[in-house]
Amino acid sequence: MSALLEVKDLATHFMTRDGVVKAVDGVSFVLEPGKTLAVVGESGSGKSVTALSIMRLIQEPQGRIVSGEILFKGDDIRKMSDSQVRSVRGDRIAMIFQDPMTSLNPVFRVGRQIGESLILHKGMTRKQAFERAVELLEMVGIPHPRDRAKDYPHQFSGGMRQRAMIAMALACDPDILIADEPTTALDVTIQAQILELMMEMQERTGAAIIMITHDLGVVADMADDVMVMYAGKQVEYGTSDRVFYEPRHPYTWGLLASLPRHDVDEKGTLLPITGQPPSLINVPPGCAFHPRCPHARGLCREEVPGLHDVGGGHLTTCPLAPDERPSEAPAQREGA
Amino acid sequence: MTDKYDDRSHDSTSPTDADGHEVKHEGRTLPTLPGGLHDTTTSRTLWGDAWRRLRKNKLAVAGLIWICLIVVMTLSADLWVPPNFGDPLAIDTTPGANLQPPSLEHPFGTDKLGRDVFSRVVYGARVSLTVGLLAVSISLVIGLLLGALSGYYSGFVDGLVMRAADVFFAFPYILFAIALIAVLGPSYRNVFIAIGILGWPSIARVFRSSIFSVKENEYVDAARAMGASDLRIMFRHIMPNAIAPIIVYGTMSIGGAIITEAALSFLGMGVQPPTPSWGLMLSDAKSLMFAAPWLTIWPGFAILTTVLAFVLMGDGMRDALDVKMKD
Repeated sequence: MSALLEVKDLATHFMTRDGVVKAVDGVSFVLEPGKTLAVVGESGSGKSVTALSIMRLIQEPQGRIVSGEILFKGDDIRKMSDSQVRSVRGDRIAMIFQDPMTSLNPVFRVGRQIGESLILHKGMTRKQAFERAVELLEMVGIPHPRDRAKDYPHQFSGGMRQRAMIAMALACDPDILIADEPTTALDVTIQAQILELMMEMQERTGAAIIMITHDLGVVADMADDVMVMYAGKQVEYGTSDRVFYEPRHPYTWGLLASLPRHDVDEKGTLLPITGQPPSLINVPPGCAFHPRCPHARGLCREEVPGLHDVGGGHLTTCPLAPDERPSEAPAQREGA
Repeated sequence: MTDKYDDRSHDSTSPTDADGHEVKHEGRTLPTLPGGLHDTTTSRTLWGDAWRRLRKNKLAVAGLIWICLIVVMTLSADLWVPPNFGDPLAIDTTPGANLQPPSLEHPFGTDKLGRDVFSRVVYGARVSLTVGLLAVSISLVIGLLLGALSGYYSGFVDGLVMRAADVFFAFPYILFAIALIAVLGPSYRNVFIAIGILGWPSIARVFRSSIFSVKENEYVDAARAMGASDLRIMFRHIMPNAIAPIIVYGTMSIGGAIITEAALSFLGMGVQPPTPSWGLMLSDAKSLMFAAPWLTIWPGFAILTTVLAFVLMGDGMRDALDVKMKD
């Protein structure tokens, strides 16, 4: 039981008027203490729902975790009582949201908001919590933390707010930090600073990170493991080295090929993945990716492929053998 | 890491600078500016900020001053009105004492029973303000409770409360009020009870929709992810953000309640004579509108300005309470 968090065959569905949306359908992964797992995929691939399911923050009754186990230090979060879950949320597992402009409450001073989880979980007084909030703000690089803690969120810029959010998430020294696209709403230079800050904080606190993003470039430096999701399913999962250097799923190739690169070719155009992600109500039969896959064959259209190990714990659903992969590396397939 | 930011000063006189712009110079880091540039002397609170913004709105300030003036006048009336102008209820049957035009002795004239109109207008403010405040308080208690239930627990509870509100809206307002008073019996107390009961659906609706929009904010999810309980989320995170429209709407409703009271009294379904009420005074004077215009002008003016003052102040508060608005 060395795993901090073990998710087994998680499925979260939303009941809508048009049918059942299988937002997450059979996702499994393991997170070791102090490691970083990147969850990558397009919008609507189920990344955020996976994160919300771990925190049990899915809005019922429309959404429901229909099956699976979420073992946090061996205890199933699904089976916990509401008050047990609340004592895990914010204390042991903390979350950073996507848009720092809207995730801070406009009527509370920043220091007060950072201190709230300390008051909730650590039984601190307001004054103690404020002092700790000042320390945390300083730790995440806010100048004049004592004065700034008395400011309202609208007096902070976007980058500073995201720093404040990180401070808030780290307040109780959590075991797991879930970051849901923490840099999407920020501009590029600030993105780099925030990622750097997160790595620094991880080193300092030893927290494990689940990093949700649609940008593979963001996670390349940070992640120990990468999980690629498509249409609510896990299509590839392995160590960051394996997934980046020996990607086995055509969707992963597509994601890698669509990244702007500065080292390969100056004139090469970016390769988009053609087509649209499928509707999660009518997932195509067989492999959900087959309508967009240049390598799709007969069986891909009929049978849902299962995950299989292609060596060293590297899992993929794609049955293509390594030698069937196009000889050119994906990023050099210009004009293909 | 710490010194990468250039922290602009943001004092209260030029708060547009308050959003601390980040400045990064090609890898070099800027030294942190001396603390003096960061204004620490003005403590900024939500209500302090709102008050400063309200003060800049001239119409709202005018409304506020007018309301304060009326409140002070009517509360202190016992001290100075009867000795100088006569008791509002004192009927003077001396020939020639009634229907006097405005004079030094009776600045607003006298009515057909010889009572001083100025005195009656000042005392009438008591009735109007009391009815306005009590009626809106009743509406607020019922409306906020039901609106909060409805907004937070959507679904069945919401449907029930909103359909009940629809039933109230389905009746013409003033007719419903008259019907209610016909059942309760016309009296001072029943007027504000009736107006209060009729006012809750609007308050509930405003609060419900306000809660709905606040609930969608990511900071509510963030609070939940932080481990806050339902009650804490409702009272600490949603309510304070949802209450501003209610403060505005409630202030304006006081004006509305004053008008309704006047209308009901005018129709004889409200405050009963001889209690001085602006609506009642208008009703008494309607046959003398041309013979003795001062009998209608002064109470009418009082209703108009008081209601307008509440509406202007409510309007000013709407802008003042918007946290995101920069001055």
